Amino acid sequence: MKVFCNSHTFNYSWEEVSTANWRKYCPWNDKSTHVIAVDTLSREVDPATGILRTERLITCKQSAPDWLKSIIGGMETSQVFETSYVNPAEKTVTMVSQNITWANLVNVQETVVYKPLSASQTQFVQDARITAMCGGWQRIKNSIEDSLVTRFKENALKGKEGFECVLAMSRRVFAEERERERLRSEGKMLA
Amino acid sequence: MSASLAPECNEVKEQYDTCFLKWYSEKYLRGNGKTDDNECSKLFKDYQKCLKVALKERGIDKLLDEAREDNKENDALHMKRKG
Repeated sequence: MKVFCNSHTFNYSWEEVSTANWRKYCPWNDKSTHVIAVDTLSREVDPATGILRTERLITCKQSAPDWLKSIIGGMETSQVFETSYVNPAEKTVTMVSQNITWANLVNVQETVVYKPLSASQTQFVQDARITAMCGGWQRIKNSIEDSLVTRFKENALKGKEGFECVLAMSRRVFAEERERERLRSEGKMLA
Repeated sequence: MSASLAPECNEVKEQYDTCFLKWYSEKYLRGNGKTDDNECSKLFKDYQKCLKVALKERGIDKLLDEAREDNKENDALHMKRKG
C-alpha cells in the first residue's frame, strides 16, 4: 500500500469553496482536463442532521501507463464513485472516492475534507491510499502503486490550479449577479 | 457545468445542475434547504431517468452497486448515525 497526502489553503470562505466545489470540473477549470464527465447519482438531505449526502460518478480519460494497459487491455475511460457529505452545522465538506474501474486489480481510496480556517480561508486536506491487489507479484504491485502515486501528484497540482480559476470566476459571477439584482430592485423602486 | 457521460442527458443535466447550485448557495447554506422535495426535484427525476438507461447500457450500474456496498462504513461515519 502507498499513501499520498496533500493540503492547501484557499483564500476564500468555506461557503464559497463548498459552492464552487460542485463545479470544480466545469470549463472554467482548464487544468483538470482528465475529467470528462461528472454525473450525480443520488442526493438527499438527512432530516435529523441536515447533512447533504451526494453520490457522483466521475468519468476520467484513461491515464494508466502504456505498459499496464498492455497487460490488462486498453480502455478509453476510467471511473470513480464519489460520496460526499456536507455538514452545514460543522461547516465541513467530506468527499470519499473509490475507483470502480479495474477494482479487482487496484484499490484507490481517496478522502478530501474542506473546512474553514477563518471567515475568509478554507483548508483542503486530501489523502489517498493505493493498494495493488495482484497476489505475489511484488514488483508489479510496486510499479502499479508508484505510477498511481505519480498520477495523483500531477493531478493534485493541476486540481489546485484549476480550482483557483473556478473560485475566482465564481466570485466574479456571483458579484455580477448581485449587482444585476441590485440594479433590478433599484429600477423597481424608481419606476 | 461539466458534461454527462451520456451526451443525450447533457441538456437536462445542465438544467438540474444550475437549479441545484442556486438552491445550494441561496437556500441550503442559509439553513432553508431541509427538505429533498424542492424546486429541482422534477429536473432531477428527468435527469435520472435518462442517466439510468445509459448506466445500464454500459454495465456501470452493477459496479456502482458493489461500490455502494463498500462505502457503508463511510456512510455510518460521516452521516453520524447512531447505532
